[in-house]
Amino acid sequence: MLERHIQVLATDAAGPESPAATRERLKGGFPPGATRRMTTLGLLVGGVLARVEPGAGDPIVYATGYGESRTLEAFLDSFPTPSPTLFQTSIHPSAVQQLMIARQCPVGEFLPLSGGDLLSFHALRASLLSHRERVIMCGGEETGTWLLEHGLASDRTFAFAVALTSGPGTGSAGTVRIHEADGQGSLPMPAFFDLMHGRQGFDGMIAPGWRLELEWH
Amino acid sequence: MAGTPAPIRLTSCGCITPLGDAPATHAALMGGKSALRPVPVLGREGGDRVPLGLLPGRELDETSPPAWLGALIELNSSIPGGDWGLPRRPVFVTGSNFGVGGLYALRRNGDPSFARWGAPPTCTEQIRRELGWGPDISILSHACVSAHLGLLNATRVVEAGLADEALVLSFDFLSPFVAGGFHALKILNTGFPNPFREQPSGAIGLGDGAGFAVLSRGRGEWVLSGQTLFNEMHHFTSNRADGSGFERCLEGVRAAASGMKVWFKGHGTGTLEAGRMEVAAATRAFPGAPIVGWKGALGHTLGSCGLVELAIALEASKGGCSPGTHGSGGPPMADRVAIDNFPTVPFDGVVCASNAFGGAHAAFLLHHA
Repeated sequence: MLERHIQVLATDAAGPESPAATRERLKGGFPPGATRRMTTLGLLVGGVLARVEPGAGDPIVYATGYGESRTLEAFLDSFPTPSPTLFQTSIHPSAVQQLMIARQCPVGEFLPLSGGDLLSFHALRASLLSHRERVIMCGGEETGTWLLEHGLASDRTFAFAVALTSGPGTGSAGTVRIHEADGQGSLPMPAFFDLMHGRQGFDGMIAPGWRLELEWH
Repeated sequence: MAGTPAPIRLTSCGCITPLGDAPATHAALMGGKSALRPVPVLGREGGDRVPLGLLPGRELDETSPPAWLGALIELNSSIPGGDWGLPRRPVFVTGSNFGVGGLYALRRNGDPSFARWGAPPTCTEQIRRELGWGPDISILSHACVSAHLGLLNATRVVEAGLADEALVLSFDFLSPFVAGGFHALKILNTGFPNPFREQPSGAIGLGDGAGFAVLSRGRGEWVLSGQTLFNEMHHFTSNRADGSGFERCLEGVRAAASGMKVWFKGHGTGTLEAGRMEVAAATRAFPGAPIVGWKGALGHTLGSCGLVELAIALEASKGGCSPGTHGSGGPPMADRVAIDNFPTVPFDGVVCASNAFGGAHAAFLLHHA
């Protein structure tokens, strides 16, 4: 069994908010000038990540199925004269990099994961296997436009970040455990986000052969 | 967990490049062959002719299903064992671009058949079906250190006793999307790459590539140790000029290589500043180690380079001789840069390093068990 304790949790359920409204709402949390080139997902993930205060030694596990969908759309539309800026920021893990580069905050282990229905399991397993006392698990999605029409982007916009520790500490908010078990199941990222955002408990299969127990104190 | 866990071993490893499988690629590099040829950067839509290494018979323009799928099927057939993707035999798929070339084609011609290959989860699901794998497939993507992340994540799972064996598969195949992006950054141009050589201006080449590694506990003749990652988070595309980020990464490998005589397989894309930084840091961390890079002949195989070059390094270690650093000339950035083929017999292991956008660095030590 793998177990960690939830120390700090930050979520952002942007829902149907427009990218412009998200930008306006979150830009005050970033250094002046830093937000001009930030993506919507960068603002959202950066916003929640900042609230759990990643330290220089904290590994970061980042989960997103589709990443910077709007930027990817814009990059594709920039051909035949592709934009170098859009190329940089459409690359998979850029949402985390946007905050950490703005802060000039190095990260030892940075594990960006993608995936479908098993993504939350894989991100949890990677987080809970960290060799460090404290690990940050974060994730998010942004809705696409024409990519969404082809099933290549998320239909929801959200972000979360959670600081997990090996020991319970003095004020842990909850406990997360995964262990091998008989059975089938999955827990897609939006459903995992809903559990985190609503501080809801869970005890069930999240992958073939794997069970999640999520408890809140 | 009681006692000291058995070290994680490399049970099997292979690759495919435009020069063939791992033994064929190793032999071709030893013979001074290059996979790179000038290709219009946007494929049939033209543009500058840039150095690309494409699989034999494959055009840069994407097809549906992708023309590169056959190479993955061929590579998969060389992977020993089966039942991959079941709970005790997880798969870790890594890459930088997955089927992003399909997105470019979808946007240009509107053919919806390209869509199913277009995003990492959908592309991986298509591959899973083609290769007959089970569902337990982690996907890791962090530009050009992606393969290293898969190796580390798989190592942790096997180390913790959560898997009997783990398969890491990494691939990146070129498309106008990728070539156009690097061309826009002005590091892919009409010049051919000369890794670790001093010259007036730097240039990279890009190449198709895929590789795999099977990891297990205590089974196999080769060991991966000192796996280390470090992310500078300094700039989106460049490293800290003083090389301190790369040095931080090499600290972990240096500890693992203590007392060993090693050679150094560098990243070596052909850009000047990154090349100088890498040579300086490697020279400081591993004094006397020959430094070699193969992207001057293979091109940069992007997210797969860590596994493709591991497979070649393994061939070099098993066969007793490493290919030198191919390029079209210019003085080496340091005396330790191995321009010519050299024997690996006098060495105990090889340090394999990769670097990526955002000052991401990754390295490990490969040595005999």
